[in-house]
Amino acid sequence: MAGLSGIEWGECVVPPRRDPELEDWAARELGTRLDLVPYLAHTPWQVRALVSHAFERGLFVHLHQELAELVWLAVSQDNSCRYCYDTHRALLRLTGIPEARMRRLEEQGFTADLDLPTRRACDFGRRLSRCNPPPDAEDVAGLREAGLSDGAVREIAWVASYAVAGNRISTLPALPPEPHEDMPERWTVRLLAPLVARRVRGRFRRGRPETQAAESLEGPYAFVVRLFEGLPTARVTREGIDDALASPILPARTKWLVCAVVARALGCARSESEAKRLLAAEGLAGEEVEGILRHLASPKLDRVETLAVPFARETVWYQTAQIQRKARELAKQISPAEFMELAGMAGVANRLCRLGALADALSWA
Amino acid sequence: MGLTGALALLAALLVLAALWWRSERERRRLRDRLVSASRELQNLQTSFARFAPEEIVERVIATGVETHGERKEVTALFADIVGYTALAESVEPTVLVRILNGYFERMSRAVTDHRGHVSTFVGDGVLALFGAFEPNPWQANDAVHSALAMRREVADYSRELGARGLPRLAIGVGLHRGSGVAGLVGSRDLMQYAFVGRTVNVASRVQDLTRVHGVDILLTGAVRETLDPRFRLRPLPPAELRGVARPVPLFAVEGHPDG
Repeated sequence: MAGLSGIEWGECVVPPRRDPELEDWAARELGTRLDLVPYLAHTPWQVRALVSHAFERGLFVHLHQELAELVWLAVSQDNSCRYCYDTHRALLRLTGIPEARMRRLEEQGFTADLDLPTRRACDFGRRLSRCNPPPDAEDVAGLREAGLSDGAVREIAWVASYAVAGNRISTLPALPPEPHEDMPERWTVRLLAPLVARRVRGRFRRGRPETQAAESLEGPYAFVVRLFEGLPTARVTREGIDDALASPILPARTKWLVCAVVARALGCARSESEAKRLLAAEGLAGEEVEGILRHLASPKLDRVETLAVPFARETVWYQTAQIQRKARELAKQISPAEFMELAGMAGVANRLCRLGALADALSWA
Repeated sequence: MGLTGALALLAALLVLAALWWRSERERRRLRDRLVSASRELQNLQTSFARFAPEEIVERVIATGVETHGERKEVTALFADIVGYTALAESVEPTVLVRILNGYFERMSRAVTDHRGHVSTFVGDGVLALFGAFEPNPWQANDAVHSALAMRREVADYSRELGARGLPRLAIGVGLHRGSGVAGLVGSRDLMQYAFVGRTVNVASRVQDLTRVHGVDILLTGAVRETLDPRFRLRPLPPAELRGVARPVPLFAVEGHPDG
């Protein structure tokens, strides 16, 4: 089998949570039933984000589906996320990319056999994902030279950052790979390949620029959301952050602590400053926060925060087997809902703080 | 078209078919060579990535060896075996190599489990760096936790060796934090990703002082400045170190509540 099936991938650390209404809704909205929905269902906001962030739902004004999926694949391959990589690989194969081409792309790490704009977009996505350091003005100039507009560059950054989040949400609990990842190889699908490809490609809708009232983008990490102002991705990002924050499973304080730790690890002063501002609103400020960030420990942390704060740091740069081992240990100490909320928030934090670092590096916001 | 014409057409088609087949075979051969070269490159890249940050690896592959470095703040850890010379003289070479390999395996694990990377093995010595590949604001804590893990690993390993009738091991570990330049250094024939600067030298000299003070883990004041106060430390007299203007504050590491 192709893809990342050779990557060591642990057993899933949370049981599925059946919610037929939520599952049916997601299946209707996505046009297919995904096995990961019952695992995300511990935190319904993640199911809603899965739907609202689906590429075929008119998110992109400037990008076409293949480019978006290839950026996703390049980032997921770099992060060794078997779930994300294999699922999107199967989707790309269903759109008509031959297996031979797919293997060539994989063997060359998405650096060859691609046109210039796509190659540079994949490089940019990888650099944003690694964020060591984040992409700089030279990288953006490279994308512009390749013919990509400013809007396209921002949408590429959005896709890469969403892959950063998605990879963590899949890797930390070790979500079981979708059983239909080998669907493109089934003889029925191969027989009807042109019809299947047409149907899959036909579901992708191009988005339209949006007029967004300034206050509709306000809220936590508004400076990141505004990077996509005028694009559907701004609205979807704003809604996703607010939905995550509204979830009652973990308190807001715990979520902003996760963001603060990730920002500190990435060295993004602006993202850290925003997290501290939000923590102050939750009654945690000044030297108390600094003390927590300095050593990732404090007697002021509650039971879950005592575990979440050092774990958040592990999610910034990781090896799959190692982070899954640590996640397994963590999952034994908190409930499945708390674990999935924490995994989701780690994804969100890594996404927001990498975009924050990019915005700083490029003076975008 | 008469028979002659038909035969001529057939001959032309056969020639074209032969030419096409030959070109297709050549294309497949070249493609297979490209695939094979790509695989070799990928394996090389994967192996090299263990010794240098991914960005460096990709830059080397894309544009050749770079000669500039980056200034970084790192914590250096130097560890070696106490009484190594006597050990080396007391066992057969093959046994020594097996003992050393087991020791290096455990030391490496103690480093990588705490987000460091092993920069080099020199004889029985291990140089590990924390904060060299990726920025690490918690590098001091990671480095000292790594040293404590080394202590535990050596104790376990020594029990194993003792049970097999082999000499037990003891280590000395020195830690120092400071800035320096990281990059690819060496000659055309042998290069490594290294950290150049006083920090590594000071860590090495501090490690030597573990024998003088009869302790296994020593760190400098620079490490202590950013260290979790929960580490139990015992202050020692400041040391005069060659190349360092002022006496360097030293602390022996006794433990941490989390192990």
